[in-house]
Order: sequence, then structure tokens, then C-alpha cells
Amino acid sequence: MGQFGNVVFIVWRESIEALLVIGILQAWLGQQGGDASSRGRAYLWAGVAAGLVAAALLGTALILFGDRLDDDSQQIFQTVLMLLAAGLIVQMVLWMRRHGRTLKRDLETALQGAADKGNWWGVFTLAAIAVAREGCETVVFLAGTLSAARSGGFAPVVFSAVGGLALAVATYGLLQLGGKILSWRLFFRVTEILLLLLAGALLLTAADNLVALGLLPRLSGRLWDASSLLSDGGVFGGLFASLTGWRARPDLTEILVFLVYWGAMAWLLFRPKPTTR
Amino acid sequence: MKSAAFFVVLALASAPALSARAENATAFRIEFNDGKVEPLRLDVPANQTLEIELVNKGQGPAEFESKQLRKEKVLAPGATVTLVIRGLDPGEYDFFDDFHPDAPPARLVAK
Repeated sequence: MGQFGNVVFIVWRESIEALLVIGILQAWLGQQGGDASSRGRAYLWAGVAAGLVAAALLGTALILFGDRLDDDSQQIFQTVLMLLAAGLIVQMVLWMRRHGRTLKRDLETALQGAADKGNWWGVFTLAAIAVAREGCETVVFLAGTLSAARSGGFAPVVFSAVGGLALAVATYGLLQLGGKILSWRLFFRVTEILLLLLAGALLLTAADNLVALGLLPRLSGRLWDASSLLSDGGVFGGLFASLTGWRARPDLTEILVFLVYWGAMAWLLFRPKPTTR
Repeated sequence: MKSAAFFVVLALASAPALSARAENATAFRIEFNDGKVEPLRLDVPANQTLEIELVNKGQGPAEFESKQLRKEKVLAPGATVTLVIRGLDPGEYDFFDDFHPDAPPARLVAK
């Protein structure tokens, strides 16, 4: 049981984060107008597919050339993608806010269609990154476990991996059910905020990476330690941190990034509307 | 997605400059062996650039992970990967083999 339980657990843990991101995106898209949401869904699933392909390629590259891949270049590559995804998500949420209400009414499809097309890359990129990030680790994990299992041991490993994935999908289904209980309007609000939290979390991780690379100054040591309140380590804490940007022991750079981001979001969301009627 | 391509090129172009900077780093080594981590306590100097060689000697895969260091690295069987850490506050940082959750956590101690 031990080893296979381990395979189930690790595949579950690696899948659940990506599934949560997909769930948030899907819920958010579900609240948009009919045409917009089906178009957005196409981008979402294309993003998932792209993420799976990227995971397979990245995982293979890590197995074959892991020794020769430079730590810094990998980190820079990830950071650039995270910044890009964060930017696209924020732009998309804001765009939807401005146009979402009129989208259903406006039937000048030519213009609307063109505007529509450009704004789903946020969904695509975020889904792709979420899947690729955890997926490539799962690829290395499964390939390595399979190679270690030697003769005759393949089937149980494959079964456990499928079991882990099934468990993750079941968990996801449970969460989706929970989402149905919340009221419609509240849910739209919540998914919008969840998306902005996700973008903020990506931004904070990107900032951490830039500090680790020596490209951004680390303005102080850790300022306080709230680990006893809510640790950002562990299974739950780690998941919470990567979905919200929570830092139990933040330094000044992290706090500034956090404040500037949420300050900008508050201003963009609540500034007086330009008088276009 | 032109801007994305531009960023990627920029990122790849700036990488050599960074690796050059890591040259005067102090080198360390951590070995993984199917759930065993060696050493379980690694003393390193604080506020210095560190280069840690991660070696997987086991039959199965391993993953170096530390939430506090915000680093994770997957290691195929037999793989060696180098991790660069720039400047640590003095203190203790837990790390573990994330593919062997029942293994005891190990610790990096910066002084």
C-alpha cells in the first residue's frame, strides 16, 4: 500500500491546484454572456491542452537534459510567463467589467466580435501555466517511479496514478457543487476576486523570483512571522499561498508589491466611471 | 502574442549575465536516495550566494522543495541539478523530498 498510496497522494496533490484554477476560470466564464462564455471556454480548454503538451515537453526535457538546464534561465522563463499571465488576467477582468453588461445587448457583432477575440488570452495563459507547472513535475515523478518499478510493477503504478487523478477530479466536482449553493450575483463577485487574487499570487511569486535572481532588491529581512496563524508551508498552506499570494513571513519587497497591486486594483475597480453612455 | 515572444527572448538573453555572477558562490551538495536526504542538516553562511548541487542517487524520482526558500526542483533518477540561492537571512529553513512525504524534513541553517 505504502508506495502506491504515495503515488495516489502525489498525483492528487499535483492535479488539484491546476483543477482549482480551471474551476475558478470556468465559473467566471459561466457568469458572462452566452456567446462570450462559450468563446472563452474554447480558450480555456485550448489552454489546458497547451498546458498538457507543455508539461509533457518540459517533463521530458527535465528528464533528458535536467543536468544541463541552467537554474537561472528556468527561473527567468517561469517568471516572464507568470508576469504575462498576471497582466493578462487583470486586463481581462477589467475589460469584462466594462463590457460585460453591454455584451449581451450589443449586437453589432462585427466590432464586438473583434474586441471579444483579443480578450481571452488571459484564460488561455493562466490555464496553460497552471497545468504545465504541476504537470511537468507529475511527468518526471511518474516516469521516474515507472523506471524504478522495473519488471511487472508497471500496472499498479499506472492504476495508482489514474486513481490519484480520479480523486482530484472528484474533489474538484465537490467544490463545483459547493459553488452552486452560493447565490448567483455573489458568485460572480467571488470568482472575480479569486481571479484577481490568483493574478496577485503570480505577481508575488514573480517578485520573489526576481529577488532570488538578484534583479530586484530585497528591501528588508522578514518583518514578522505569522506562521503560527497560517503557515505558507504544508499541503493546505502551500495551496492557499499559491492561490492568494499569502506570505507568512514577508519582507518589505513582498509587502510593497502586494500593496501596490491591490492599491492599483482598488483604483481601477472603484474609480469614478468615465461618462460614456 | 508578439510581446510574449519578446519577453522570452529577453529572458534568454539576460541569462548568461546572471550565471556569470554566480561564479564566486560557495558550493554545497545535497543527496537524495529514495526518501533519504543527506545531510539532514546543512550549515551555510548567511547573506552569500550559494550554489547547491542536488543529486538524486535513488532508483525513483525526488523533488527538492522548500516553501520557506520558495524553491522546488524535480530530479529524475540519477539526475544532478544545481540550485542557486542569493543571500539568506540568518535562520533555519526546512526542506524536504516532496515525492516522499513520510520522510523526515531536513533543514538548512544559515549563520
